[in-house]
Amino acid sequence: MDLTIFLQALITGILMAGIYALVGIGLTLIFGVVRIVNFAHGEFVMLGMYVTFWLWKLWGIDPYVSLLITMPVLFCFGVLVQRFLLQPILRAPDLAQIFMTVGISVILMNATLFLFTADFRSVKLAYSEWVWRVGGVSIPLTRLFAFLGAILLAGLLTLFLTKTDVGKALRAVAQDREVSMLLGINPERMYLLAVGLGAALAGAAGTLIVPFFYVFPTVGVVFGLIAFVVVILGTLGSIEGALLASLIVGVAESLGILFAGSDLGLVVVFAILVVTLVFRPSGLMGQR
Amino acid sequence: MSEILLDVQGLSKHFGGLQAVLDLSFQVRTGEILGVIGPNGSGKTTTFNLITGFYRPDRGHVRFAGQDTTGLRPYDVCARGLVRTFQVAKPFPAISVLRNAMMGTLLRHADPLVAEAKARDVLTLVGLEARAHMEAGSLTTIDQRRLEVARALGTEPRLLLLDETMAGLTLTEVSEAMRLIASLRERGLTVVVVEHVMRAVMNLSDRIVVLNQGTKIAEGKPAEIAANPEVIRAYLGAEYQRA
Amino acid sequence: MAESAATGQSDLAVRGKRVRGLERAIATAAILFVLILPWLLPNPFYVHIVIMMAIFVALGGAWNIIGGYGGQLSLGHAAFFGTGAYVSTLLVNAYNISPWITLWIGGVAALLLSLPIGVICFRLQGPYFTIATIGLAEALRLLVLHYREITNGAQGLTVPFKGNAPLLLQFDSKMPYYYIAVVLAAAVLLITRRMERSRLGHYLVAIGQNQDAAEAVGINSAKAKGQALALSAFLTGVAGVYYAQYTYVIHPDGAFGLGMSIQIALVAIVGGVGTILGPALGAIIMELFVQSTQILFAGQYPGLELMVYGGLLVTVILWRPRGVLPWFESWYRRLVGRAERVSGGTP
Repeated sequence: MDLTIFLQALITGILMAGIYALVGIGLTLIFGVVRIVNFAHGEFVMLGMYVTFWLWKLWGIDPYVSLLITMPVLFCFGVLVQRFLLQPILRAPDLAQIFMTVGISVILMNATLFLFTADFRSVKLAYSEWVWRVGGVSIPLTRLFAFLGAILLAGLLTLFLTKTDVGKALRAVAQDREVSMLLGINPERMYLLAVGLGAALAGAAGTLIVPFFYVFPTVGVVFGLIAFVVVILGTLGSIEGALLASLIVGVAESLGILFAGSDLGLVVVFAILVVTLVFRPSGLMGQR
Repeated sequence: MSEILLDVQGLSKHFGGLQAVLDLSFQVRTGEILGVIGPNGSGKTTTFNLITGFYRPDRGHVRFAGQDTTGLRPYDVCARGLVRTFQVAKPFPAISVLRNAMMGTLLRHADPLVAEAKARDVLTLVGLEARAHMEAGSLTTIDQRRLEVARALGTEPRLLLLDETMAGLTLTEVSEAMRLIASLRERGLTVVVVEHVMRAVMNLSDRIVVLNQGTKIAEGKPAEIAANPEVIRAYLGAEYQRA
Repeated sequence: MAESAATGQSDLAVRGKRVRGLERAIATAAILFVLILPWLLPNPFYVHIVIMMAIFVALGGAWNIIGGYGGQLSLGHAAFFGTGAYVSTLLVNAYNISPWITLWIGGVAALLLSLPIGVICFRLQGPYFTIATIGLAEALRLLVLHYREITNGAQGLTVPFKGNAPLLLQFDSKMPYYYIAVVLAAAVLLITRRMERSRLGHYLVAIGQNQDAAEAVGINSAKAKGQALALSAFLTGVAGVYYAQYTYVIHPDGAFGLGMSIQIALVAIVGGVGTILGPALGAIIMELFVQSTQILFAGQYPGLELMVYGGLLVTVILWRPRGVLPWFESWYRRLVGRAERVSGGTP
């Protein structure tokens, strides 16, 4: 095995891990605060991609600029979903909650298919093909930007959660609903905020990958699955865990593709998930 | 002296920095009633959890009826004839009292009809037969604790571990519960009671083990325990701390 | 009424007998209806719809054993469905074994697959369990796609068409397919009923309500859940074989896909989990809906059918988070009550 090929795969994996982290953090944030596993999370990514695509197609807005639009749009969308679809069933059995989000995912995926057809679409940019070469390894700039953008947003979220009063309130609700109510925090508003933020992060991830990824209605499925693996591997509700797990998943997928074949990258990811869960049933950050 | 039914040797368990139980050893002999007392947080419930397989001990061994049961799963421990109740009763809330009791009797009687008949028997024993068809979740806390005992008895154990079944009972109810426990012993059962109701423990127990901060500080007949200065200090100390 | 109130118990007994008589009459009517139903339908397409309903009654009923009674929300049942369908079709194609035999082999293959899955997944709780089942089924789908020398990859497998060959489970009319599907569905529901009344059925309920308390009274929760999963997997596998045999074609994405897992679970959830008849009701509702939207939109607008399907799911959950059956039952009880009053309130 040529070392450069290995390094290339490793770096591709690490760069993709940034995106997985962004999707995963959103999912884990929603679970941590609202205690709902959002099976429509991949579709939030997909929506972000379409918003970005159409902004570029119709008005020529650069994807990185469109972050300023995608994130607020997805935030509002998340808030609406929480308010009208999730809030009413917060006390329903687990299975109702899971299938509510499954239903949302089915609707979003097929509404997109209905409106925009199954066509694969892509964005052409002046810098689409730019590549940075280090040694024998080539790094596409769009992937590097996606990684840096993801890290930046993850950092901003962490700052928000640790330094602002609202962020602290959000964490308080995640830690203990009852106590947070005693502190005068309105949990229902925090739920709205959490789902909104989670959706906005997923949307941002969608935007960041548009420059090097096809846009199509079922693109969210893979991101949804990977986000699950990331949050479960990293223990539901733990942001640090999601970061660590996304690195593992990104690199495992990339090396899996290299060693086992392009169609088995995800199998390697699932295998890692299963093996980890056998030894740590509640993920890397969970108690044994 | 009769044979040793339960033999606990050098049991230890810590949670993070907290040493819940430290090097605890004691024996239970067949046919006796052993009382376990100690201030809150002295490790009584943890000890039950360790003996019945809900926690895995860091160190030490549990032998039941001559066999090593350390680290066995709770259902295995129960199948061997050692059953416990929970301090906070855990009924199956959405099904009837009778069906709750059946969950115990099904262990030895796979036929649901037989199990149901046996379940009625144990409900009668604890005085719940009139509420057999109520939903278990709608019982009062005290009746839920009765149900807990009935369900445990349904598994036809040799050794019964009762975790504060008398807390909150009125004086007459305490007497009733004491009569029940004494009658269980008549039927050949061995019983360990963790209890705060001193009158009950002192009257009921053949021997008493006193725990404080996870270790055994005294063991003996009720009269000896009542006169033991270290026990008095442990309890008074606890009182002072609380004040 | 006053007179019978004095005798108390006998009043109850009389009423019980009358209700039971009525119930028996309704059940008999329902069975007769199911038996003559295909002859009442105008054309084979409608028979196809009721065949799909029956197959989904079987699938939803099978899922219900572990998902409803066992409270373990699997979203990976496509793994068992696909395993049954693929193992059977591969054997039929390679060795010319009759599908009447591979029906059982496919079921057993799914059962065997469930054993390691149970060992892995029952250590997990709640969402961890659900997502692990998704992951395993997806991994299986990708492997089936990958090993195309055996599985024919994305093209999938076809059952060779032999014309009317009852011994090979092939018919030129839809009628035999219908009755076999009904037998399959009825078998699953009867097995569910038996299971519900057995020790395993009781144990699953106990585990679903409080696992610690269950283990404390000697219930081996991993074993009980493993048994329920094995039974559920076996029945799902058998239904998968029959589905392949009926539709002649199976693809990895269809047979092992998340969509199939969701459809299987949905039938039970929409109807009402942990009840014998819930999946039956759910299958009827969902299939009626799916097929009528297909007729309505005739496949002209890709996505629209499934969009409406998702809409139905969301609406049902908002309206009846515990499924339609409990609502249906109370409506039925009111009806029975009225029938009773009409037939004379006093004994």
